[in-house]
Amino acid sequence: MKTIPPNCPEPESGPKYWRSLDQLAETPEFRQWVEKEFPPGASEFTDPVSRRNFVKIMSASFLLAGLGSTGCRRPVEHIYPFAKMPENYVHGVPQYFATAMPSRRTALPLVVKSSDGRPTKIEGNPDLPGSNGGTDHLAQASLLSLYDPDRAMRCTRNGSGVSKKEALDYLSSLSKTQGAGAGLAFLLEQNGSPSRARLQQAIAAKFPAARWHVYEPVDLDLGRAAASLAYNSPVEPYYKLDQAQVIVSLDCDFIGSEENAYANIKDFAKGRALSGKDDPMNRLYAVESLFTLTGLNADHRLRVPPSMVVAVLARLAQNVLGSTEMDSKLNELAAPAQAHDKWITECAKDLKANAGKSLVLAGYRLPLAAHLLVMAINEALGAVGHTVEFHQVSSPKEGTLAELAAALNGGQVQTLVILGGNPAYNAPVDLNWPQAQTKAKTVIRLGYYQDETSWSESWVVRSKGVAPTQWDLPLAHYLESWGDGRTADGTMVPIQPLIEPLFGGITELEVLALIGGFTPNSPYEIVRETFRALGSQISLGSNVAFTAEPDKNGGGTFSYKWKPNSNAGDSENNWRKFLHDGFLAGSAESAATVQHDAAELKRALGELKAAPPPGKESLEIVFYRDAKMDDGRNNNNGWLQELPDPITKLTWDNAVLMSPATAKELGVFYDRNVQNQKFFNYQVEVTLNGRTIKGPIWIQPGMADHTVGLALGYGREKTGRVGTGTGFDAYKLRSSDNLYYASGATVKDTGDKSYELATTQSHWSMEGRPVVREANLEQYRKNPKFAQQMKPEDPPLIAPLYPNPLDTTKAKAMHQWGMSIDLNRCVGCSACMIACQSENNIPIVGKEMVGKSREMHWIRLDRYYASPAGAAQDKRMEDPQAVVQPMLCQHCESAPCESVCPVNATSHDDEGLNVMTYNRCVGTRYCSNNCPYKVRRFNFFDYNRHPLTHEFLYRSPLVAETDGEWELMRWLKNPDKGNLPEDQWQLSKLVKNPDVSVRMRGVMEKCTLCLQRIEQAKIAAKVKARDSDHIRLSEKEGTVPKTACQQACPAEAIVFGDISDPESSVSKAKEQERTYKVLEFLLTKPRLTYLARVRNPNQEMPDYKEHSLPYTTDEFEKGAFNEGEGAEEPAEKGAQ
Amino acid sequence: MDDYAAIKVQGPPVELERVPLVANQRGIGWLSDRIAGVVEGETPAWWKVCFAISVTMMTVCFAMILYLMSTGVGVWGLGHPVMWGWAIVNFVWWIGIGHAGTLISAILFLLRQRWRTSINRAAEAMTIFAVMCAGIFPLIHIGRIWFGWWLFPIPNSNSIWPQFRSPLMWDVFAVSTYFTVSVLFWYMGLIPDLAVMRDRAKTKIRKFGYGLFALGWRGSNRHWSHYEKAYLILAGLSTPLVLSVHSIVSLDFSVSQLPGWHTTIFPPYFVAGAVYSGFGMVLTLLVPLRRMLHLEEIIRVRHVELMCKVTLATGSIVGYAYAMEFFIAWYSGNPYERFQFFQTRAADPFIIGPLLHIRPAPYWWAFWTMVTCNVVVPQFFWFKKVRTCMLFVFVLSILVNVGMWFERFVIVDISLHREFIPSNWNYYSPTWVDICQYLGTFGLFFTFFLLFIRFIPLIAIAEVKGVTPQADPHHPLGGAKIGGEH
Repeated sequence: MKTIPPNCPEPESGPKYWRSLDQLAETPEFRQWVEKEFPPGASEFTDPVSRRNFVKIMSASFLLAGLGSTGCRRPVEHIYPFAKMPENYVHGVPQYFATAMPSRRTALPLVVKSSDGRPTKIEGNPDLPGSNGGTDHLAQASLLSLYDPDRAMRCTRNGSGVSKKEALDYLSSLSKTQGAGAGLAFLLEQNGSPSRARLQQAIAAKFPAARWHVYEPVDLDLGRAAASLAYNSPVEPYYKLDQAQVIVSLDCDFIGSEENAYANIKDFAKGRALSGKDDPMNRLYAVESLFTLTGLNADHRLRVPPSMVVAVLARLAQNVLGSTEMDSKLNELAAPAQAHDKWITECAKDLKANAGKSLVLAGYRLPLAAHLLVMAINEALGAVGHTVEFHQVSSPKEGTLAELAAALNGGQVQTLVILGGNPAYNAPVDLNWPQAQTKAKTVIRLGYYQDETSWSESWVVRSKGVAPTQWDLPLAHYLESWGDGRTADGTMVPIQPLIEPLFGGITELEVLALIGGFTPNSPYEIVRETFRALGSQISLGSNVAFTAEPDKNGGGTFSYKWKPNSNAGDSENNWRKFLHDGFLAGSAESAATVQHDAAELKRALGELKAAPPPGKESLEIVFYRDAKMDDGRNNNNGWLQELPDPITKLTWDNAVLMSPATAKELGVFYDRNVQNQKFFNYQVEVTLNGRTIKGPIWIQPGMADHTVGLALGYGREKTGRVGTGTGFDAYKLRSSDNLYYASGATVKDTGDKSYELATTQSHWSMEGRPVVREANLEQYRKNPKFAQQMKPEDPPLIAPLYPNPLDTTKAKAMHQWGMSIDLNRCVGCSACMIACQSENNIPIVGKEMVGKSREMHWIRLDRYYASPAGAAQDKRMEDPQAVVQPMLCQHCESAPCESVCPVNATSHDDEGLNVMTYNRCVGTRYCSNNCPYKVRRFNFFDYNRHPLTHEFLYRSPLVAETDGEWELMRWLKNPDKGNLPEDQWQLSKLVKNPDVSVRMRGVMEKCTLCLQRIEQAKIAAKVKARDSDHIRLSEKEGTVPKTACQQACPAEAIVFGDISDPESSVSKAKEQERTYKVLEFLLTKPRLTYLARVRNPNQEMPDYKEHSLPYTTDEFEKGAFNEGEGAEEPAEKGAQ
Repeated sequence: MDDYAAIKVQGPPVELERVPLVANQRGIGWLSDRIAGVVEGETPAWWKVCFAISVTMMTVCFAMILYLMSTGVGVWGLGHPVMWGWAIVNFVWWIGIGHAGTLISAILFLLRQRWRTSINRAAEAMTIFAVMCAGIFPLIHIGRIWFGWWLFPIPNSNSIWPQFRSPLMWDVFAVSTYFTVSVLFWYMGLIPDLAVMRDRAKTKIRKFGYGLFALGWRGSNRHWSHYEKAYLILAGLSTPLVLSVHSIVSLDFSVSQLPGWHTTIFPPYFVAGAVYSGFGMVLTLLVPLRRMLHLEEIIRVRHVELMCKVTLATGSIVGYAYAMEFFIAWYSGNPYERFQFFQTRAADPFIIGPLLHIRPAPYWWAFWTMVTCNVVVPQFFWFKKVRTCMLFVFVLSILVNVGMWFERFVIVDISLHREFIPSNWNYYSPTWVDICQYLGTFGLFFTFFLLFIRFIPLIAIAEVKGVTPQADPHHPLGGAKIGGEH
């Protein structure tokens, strides 16, 4: 070691010797000498006021003044990689931006996480008034669509690529050549964007003769149309389900497939929430033909064929409205519902008894007259103003698709602009849209995919060479776009981009502005101007006129209604606040004063006819919006394709749904033909009006008899790699006169059982086991601790041979994490599953792997059917009750998985988490075998690195080639890279959450309770604490993170937090009397507890006799558990 | 020779006379010639055919391992919730087969069962090869085979140690110890015979080869004295291992909490089952071999009969264990246990199911195959006619092994496919890779076994000689006499 010499004190007197040159240089004499020595000016740097300094400061001032006088800096619209690190940006620390996802007529407000410039996770915006930050599975999954390698990526003209500039120039040129707009037609999707409405209005002013048409294959907007007629003014209903004590749903799946289901779930769950035995609870009656999530959550469910729903409604109307002048007509309509008279009467009694707190809902599939009738009922029940209010809306007069098809065929359209949508796939089959589209001279199509509506060779052939010139433009994802929208209650929300368009996508606003020839035409400017205009009534120049006044007459073509908002306007602060908060405060609509008018109802009722009941030879078809594919727009989204349908639990397919009795009658009831989770069912031909489709059958317990359910959105002819080959196309049967219901269909067995259906759950019965525990409300009130008593006898508690180390360490740890799931609030919407998939980089595995039961979801929703224990064998599947249960790692305190892992890959941390060390895992899979909940997932293949087909998954790199290169050699060069095509590989990396490792094959994985979020929160707390020791996360201070599933849950069913904090909401939830642990007798001591489900049936109802106990409780108590006489299972896994 | 012809041998009364272990009063020299002759003679045509088939199948075994390693465990039929499939079934099955050899050589040695001498060598070889086959499966069934060495306690810079609470760890030690001791024991017993082969060798290569492994054995009294002591010690060491290895393997299951696995009777039940299947396999191998290699005089019908009796005894223990499992499942009152045994195993579509009003269990056929082969089949061995009919014994011995394979299948997979939470329930079926992998291990086994019978005396020459009358100097035929060599 170097010895440091002791300090040598300077001698007080005598000559000063300098020890080094540095020392010499420090002396004042030397410094003075240096200053003198240097050229003139060297000393001026130390002079506070000098000429040079003056000039320097002045020049900077002039520069800044110049900037100031030309206004603010233009906001940077382009997003480039950093040349210099921006201020406040820390690499690896995510940033969050508010935006919104446009849906049909509304938008879902979001906060999106951006990791190093790429959006990686979508959350709901919790700051909106009334919002809880919940989202739905579609919003969660929309992230994956952004990185879809099959997106439309270039502008094309008749299929051959053109530069984006050329395409945009062409659009601009249109504004000059259209004259008054005769021959110009727009086909749009529904959209609630104020900016789009403004542009439409401006274009309409410029091209008064242009046609405007809107098409939604599944139109959820019927309520608005009906309300506008019923109240003689442009209004839309806004339901306040949280205010409703009694809700009757008439084929209205408001929890699943209606618009803004996430908001409905939030409000419905509020009415379901129980904190103690004296809490009130709402009651839901459902009348439906399919088995939907709404039916699953209903306290009373009446299954009737679609034609009979109107009959039930008519009978209900008679009961509620009393005798009116419509009586005879209602009598006629209600006749078929005679058999359910008692049910309807009691239901109506309940509604009337709760007048002002009751609500009747009609689904989008019902005819307009039914909606009008429902509005009359609600009016009579005093619901208006309490459980439903009406909001002013714009009511643009837009044509339908049928009218546009007629105009095209009549040669009246020269230039057709299709913005979004996919009419060539989903237009009613009688319109023959693909043919009609070729009748225009020029087609401009803005689409997210190169799909059926995009230009194709076959069109040239079909139109004998006179096909139109078609421009296909790539649509930008909403996370790449500027835009705006309105939420369900009318609050204005911004859509702001998180990322530069990956493939040069163009927004709808841009196209409209270009065609209109408006400047500025950048979407940012358009949205900004709309916002500016909202502040006051100002004119935006000659090109873009805009009135902020509500349109009094309601008859104008495009009059956009908006009340002036003081939070909007020209102010930059307001604009920035708008973007920052993600909503415009005070822009929510308030209830409009409306006057009910029954005239339209009478007219519409007169046109309704009582339908004959369906039969074996004349089945009724329900075309329904698929829970995942929607109308087909999500077809290429892998997360959604693999998400099991909330009811059928089918993945990657739709099926011909029918009730067990109908299937037996038709001779297509399948039994015991199951292998793993693959089902090989009969394929049947469904014929309607001479058109036939073929699809595999799926027995759906609880469906109405003589009814066939066909989900839309599958069987696409032209879609991406993910969607190709999934399901069958039900649109082929759908014509303009029976968009949602059709009767007179026949089903023919083809005898073909070769088609495979993959489901994530093949066993339907709970076998009387107390997995989901239920009671009726009155039983719960009598015995609030019922759930804890529903269990097999506990084994005697003896002191364990080896004390659990957690028992000693947990006293020292700072937090103890736990979770509680309220089964009474959970409706089974599946948002949590996708949220988890997105947060935790969970791969999709493909249909074949799901069929082999290898899906990777860390959280799954188990769905069980139950029937009364005494029911006859063949009646058990007729009217079952169903329950759902989110099942994820229970984080057992004495976890069975941990003690059997030979390599210590899964272990417990001090805070009670069962943690998984992926790097250490060798994949013995013993932990999964020993997990009683079976929540561990194993990577059987490298799902992240291969296309998910049999060919690629099962081929050995030893004998395979990719891109002409021996795969083993490829792997040696870059072990990370599999045999995914380059584009897919590059994009698949972008969607990954950088905070969570991507697991390789051979590794076990499972729920971590979002450990990465906990750690981030801890780090943030430590940074904030600095030297203090205040590093404990506390819910009161808002520092406890939410898990991904919890954050996404619109029902607030999932509560996560610190159970060592007695004030935390999870501790409070666990204190509730309904708390129970699944399989607690195994003494695994799970940290995840459930709150038992409570049903609220009406004792007066005729089916109450069967409902006096929930069926699952009945099965448990009658000891079906021991006798093994659960529900009959067509899906029983007895295969040979 | 005439000098001794007059000596009259006064044997015991006929009814007390034991059947000689070597027929026809064959002399010591004849035994050497006969047994060494198997190795020294011409390679029989059937051997060549069998060897070609075995090597092909062994190649399949390794090809399957390569395919599995390079592609992923997904090539097997596993899925939720059945995470262990044929690999573990085969592992336990092969380990079970590997039981008979050490049992015969160690326990029967300690119990002075002299009849063991004609069969112990082949049985031990079978044990070693079976354990080799068994050892493959736990290694390859893991997800990341290249990290399999993490199961061994190797000091490393991360200070990560295996988890000794896991039964899989115990397995690692139990199986590797068993294999090591079995190999040592087998080789120890081989040394005098290798020396015989060396002395009889006619080619230089043989002389060198056998000589190398005979470790300079000269047959001196001192050698024999050491040898006998060492053999006794090893026998003593092996005996607890016979019981421990399968007990430990059974703990893989009984330590878990899965109904159908979590059973305290597993250790003895598994050992009995293992001995049962081991003897079944010895019979399967030796019944045809004694005929084809003309060893009927050394491996006599009496040997086969005795082995059948052991099979009967252990088979009955297994049957009793099955009954106990059902009894306890019912008696415990635990509904999950009851469901596992009655609803998931026993309920067939024809008799039991309809009687108890239970839906047929998905795998009822596997359960009833097991019961038939393991409970019904051994009962035939009560009959001397069956025990002495070689064809019958051969067929039954194969059924014994089929039954024992199904027993492991029933325990491993049927228990897993329907457990606590019904939403998980699923059916399991193997893929072609599972099947080829299993068949491939037969290739491995028979390749080694065929090489064994071709190059190593498959009967312990020295030991068989020791149990002949000629080896007893006090026996009229015993002692060193002229002509004693024949």
